[in-house]
Amino acid sequence: MAKTYDYLFKLLLIGDSGVGKTCVLFRFSEDAFNTTFISTIGIDFKIRTIELDGKKIKLQIWDTAGQERFRTITTAYYRGAMGIMLVYDITNEKSFENIKNWIRNIEENASADVEKMLLGNKCELNEKRQVTKERGEQLAIEYGIKFMETSAKASIHVEEAFFTLARDIKTKMEKKLEASNPPKGGHQLKSYEPQRKPPSWLSRCTLL
Amino acid sequence: MATGKVHHSPKVTTTFPLQEEVEDGKNRHLVKCQRCPSRILNPGMGVYKQVEFPLPHMKQKTDRGDISTVEEEVIKDYWVVEDMYSFENVGFSNSVAGVKYLACADCEVGPIGWFDIAAQTSYVALSRVLHGNG
Repeated sequence: MAKTYDYLFKLLLIGDSGVGKTCVLFRFSEDAFNTTFISTIGIDFKIRTIELDGKKIKLQIWDTAGQERFRTITTAYYRGAMGIMLVYDITNEKSFENIKNWIRNIEENASADVEKMLLGNKCELNEKRQVTKERGEQLAIEYGIKFMETSAKASIHVEEAFFTLARDIKTKMEKKLEASNPPKGGHQLKSYEPQRKPPSWLSRCTLL
Repeated sequence: MATGKVHHSPKVTTTFPLQEEVEDGKNRHLVKCQRCPSRILNPGMGVYKQVEFPLPHMKQKTDRGDISTVEEEVIKDYWVVEDMYSFENVGFSNSVAGVKYLACADCEVGPIGWFDIAAQTSYVALSRVLHGNG
């Protein structure tokens, strides 16, 4: 059968336990109906289809549920990963501090050009906030990655985050393709610079 | 195939207006979740097949979540999906005895079908999804 999509991206959700990674995988959280059977055995991965610039993109999204201690996540888990969502909980200082450990773990185990994005989740719980938005933004700048505050409840931001990550992977991929298949006219020397875009200021939280 | 599970009085159910849903052996309509607006499979992406397979009920009487005594029903009408990336949106459970169960990607209701790990083939139960356009 002919392929019915243009791109396939493998994405990982990484972060401490309890930061809401699993909720990030829900789209209709109010309708969430976690049957005992499915919740007992747990979800391994999800396939989602999105459209970007007229291209159909399949996202295969893996959650680390149950093995959230960064020491336990090794090369095998990262294999083939093209994008990583680093998730912390804005009401949990420790989960934010651990992002640095997660990034180190990614640097040690994942492919060097994996696209990363930082998510401060649970932004609907502003009264319990321990990590300011500015600190999230600052950390993202430090690592040259994008940042958003999300709420699994206001799931629209979650979707936006996946679109942003997917778009960055797509852009990177198209650049690589272009570099390996230069347009006619012989050799073109291109200096390949890793993308270091400023973080997106798309980050909003309607519930704030 | 799943083995090692206790099957509690399985009964075969076939209550589906097949002629309305099957076109050229495939799903005529969009396959959607019964509980939320999630799109699972586009028209023509599933091949109709009869296979008897016991699927745990979407609602279990006990909330203890003990999968060794799960209540299930034998379902025999399925949309077969050979390439998992043919799905629009779907969730795959962790593995249980050679099988992964399929759930809605958006509200996680399920099992709506099963995935044969050895054959890398998915089966979506017609009776556990909605069929329609838009």
